[in-house]
Amino acid sequence: MTPATGISLKEPTISGAAADAEQLERARIDASTRVPVLMFYASAMVWLLIGTLLAGFVSFKLHAPDWMADVSFLTWGRLRPVHMNIMVYGWASMAAMGTAIWLMARLCRTTLRHPLLIVTGIWFWNIGVLIGVVAILMGYSTGYQWLEFPPYAALVLFVAYALIMSWAVLMFRFRRGNQIYITQWYLLGAFLWFPWLYAAAQAMLFVAPVQGVLQAAVGWWYGNNLLFLWFGTIALGTAYYMIPKVIGRPVYSYHLATIGFWTYALFSSWTGMQRLVDGPFPAWMITASIAATILTIIPVATVGLNHHMTMQGYFPVMRYSPTLRFTVFGAMSYTVFSVVGILISLRSTARYVHFTEATIAYSHMGFYAFFTMIIFGSMYYIVPRLVGREWRYATLIKLHFWASAYGVGLMSLMLLAGGFVQGSSEQSPSMPFIESAASVLPYLRGRTLAALLLTISHFIFAFHFGLMLFGLGRTSTVPTFLNPVEAEGSESPL
Amino acid sequence: MKGLLPLFLGLFGTFAFSWIGLTVIPNMQIGALNPQMDEEGTDIYPMPKSGMAERGQRIYAANGCIYCHSQQVRPDYVSADLDRTRDAGSSPRPKWAGRRSAPRDYIFDRPVQLGQERMGPDLADIAKAAPTEEESPAAAPAGNAPAASPAAPQSPAPRANVAATTAGGAPSPPTTLPAPQATAANPSSTPSRNGIPPAYSAAWHHRHLYSPRSMSPDNVDSTMPAYKFLYEKHQISGEPSADALQLTGPDAPPPGWEIVPSYDAKCLVTYLMSLDQSHPLKEVKSAGGVAPAPAASPAATPAGSPPPAPAKK
Repeated sequence: MTPATGISLKEPTISGAAADAEQLERARIDASTRVPVLMFYASAMVWLLIGTLLAGFVSFKLHAPDWMADVSFLTWGRLRPVHMNIMVYGWASMAAMGTAIWLMARLCRTTLRHPLLIVTGIWFWNIGVLIGVVAILMGYSTGYQWLEFPPYAALVLFVAYALIMSWAVLMFRFRRGNQIYITQWYLLGAFLWFPWLYAAAQAMLFVAPVQGVLQAAVGWWYGNNLLFLWFGTIALGTAYYMIPKVIGRPVYSYHLATIGFWTYALFSSWTGMQRLVDGPFPAWMITASIAATILTIIPVATVGLNHHMTMQGYFPVMRYSPTLRFTVFGAMSYTVFSVVGILISLRSTARYVHFTEATIAYSHMGFYAFFTMIIFGSMYYIVPRLVGREWRYATLIKLHFWASAYGVGLMSLMLLAGGFVQGSSEQSPSMPFIESAASVLPYLRGRTLAALLLTISHFIFAFHFGLMLFGLGRTSTVPTFLNPVEAEGSESPL
Repeated sequence: MKGLLPLFLGLFGTFAFSWIGLTVIPNMQIGALNPQMDEEGTDIYPMPKSGMAERGQRIYAANGCIYCHSQQVRPDYVSADLDRTRDAGSSPRPKWAGRRSAPRDYIFDRPVQLGQERMGPDLADIAKAAPTEEESPAAAPAGNAPAASPAAPQSPAPRANVAATTAGGAPSPPTTLPAPQATAANPSSTPSRNGIPPAYSAAWHHRHLYSPRSMSPDNVDSTMPAYKFLYEKHQISGEPSADALQLTGPDAPPPGWEIVPSYDAKCLVTYLMSLDQSHPLKEVKSAGGVAPAPAASPAATPAGSPPPAPAKK
């Protein structure tokens, strides 16, 4: 108990013997997931660092175009897709799968069987990303957003995914107990939707290519659904686990969770075409996506309300728990991201932000402020349970959080504001185009500053993670709190 | 959640709904468009791209041109795309486009390069901006003629009846005019300023790709990266190559050397020179192509409508 808040910081204990058995079982399950989950996380961290450095390059080169421009594989137009694909497939997908597998094992209350299968899958996945990255650098990009990897790299990713997926299904098959927790809906959805989405996009673009503009429609259908139904579902599922777990309190409403989940699946899967607003498409496609985007307010409201009511009275815990602080930031960002998404998809606004940096702000809000922050939170929770050590420096966690939070906040503001400026000047035809493009340059410089903050944040986290990985964490039974908890008997975490 | 079966049916159903709704049904609707032709079966549009242009399209995709250049023109009721003129070129400067884009314009494009952002101008109609064969020599006297109003040649064509007012009361240029008027008034540099080829010609594209910021005064602020790696530096043996780049200043190669486009660069420029959506389409209200009716245009059409394309001959 913390004297300041009167809130328990540990899971509520049940009773002596039963609690011991439960603890023991959890420890066994955690131990069985150690190798694959840590491999996922370690690979993800390496890709995150590479992707972050590339982001800095890309951002800087956008306003300093002559810098390192004369080598073919360092040209801006190749580094940018490499950055995006490393973040999407290297960092985010791998970290998401690591968290998802750990959650699945915990929630199915079963140990991980056949870890060799999944370890092979991880190797394949890394090789697939590497092949794709090299291919883009050598000039074999396919030219479809988020699908720049050539089909042969995609095939390797797909084989890898099949290995990982088959394992996840196996685990679900051997689950104990009949209850399927909310998080599991989200995870099962993600596990089922991603291969379908990926295979459908690959088939419609490369195997039996669709005609003309439909390629762009398939591209955005893929891109938005990847964001919502793969990253978004795993992030929301994680939040549904972590928030109640850390504060030791059940989810506020099961019914709200049900409504939130199904409306999320239904409406967000129909978004995407609003990115093609006023383009050469049948108007109904775009209108349907705009309507679906507006309707996503329903899952946002229900999920947001549910998390808020669960947290009600427990917000001060964010002062201590790193997991909770990151997770709640991510869950709140989900609301902000969705509201911004609705606002910029309305036709009256879209004409000012279409073809501008504002759409990139939107992607970063979803991808980073929402998804990545929740995954960071889950890593702060899971890694100590896998390595048997606690995070060494509370200061580093705080630095990581604030650099990330300010970094992504600054980036979103810069790109949103810059997007509106850029879009408005593009709408005045008497202004030469080059000036409308130049009007966004100050904001792009601000974005480079944000990229610098995020780079600092990620290197701090990677260093801290490395300490944990090599067994240099703290040996203690008390988790690392962000601020000292003046409870009797517990040693100071600092 | 009651049981597994409803959960899986639900997961399956929601996604199938989206997949069918957003990709399969549109594919049935516009997935098998044919080129448009007139009754005699001639005047076919669009046509498949040539081999070089097709290769150029892949180079365009591989080097990420799409991240800054769109290839789609929005209709006049939501955007200024149809009012906008290009930043370079002889006066009146070429329009971005004459009509909005339609699905049929893209039926031979693979990968389609609609684009998502405009750090650079739209390229859907860039080939249309190139000087035509008989127009390019004529451009020089046209630029010199209205010497009385030095602002006119550089002024981005104001929306309506620019041709009529050029000689007389040209509207005062916007304060943001990029081009110093001195360059325009200098007669020696008018046909090809500083040896710069006529705007949007193939030679211009090559030089622009090689050194985007050398195209002053129109392009000093350009943030486009140079694509020097698409060009080769050769020692001149005997006659200089016909397609060697005419470079000046710091970009110029040392004496005895020349910069020539690689095959990839030639393909890329061939592709750029093939981007032309000026052909009228039945399904699109064409501003200049279908109904010229110049007398009616100022009154009847809204302000957003471009003038009936005087450059089109």
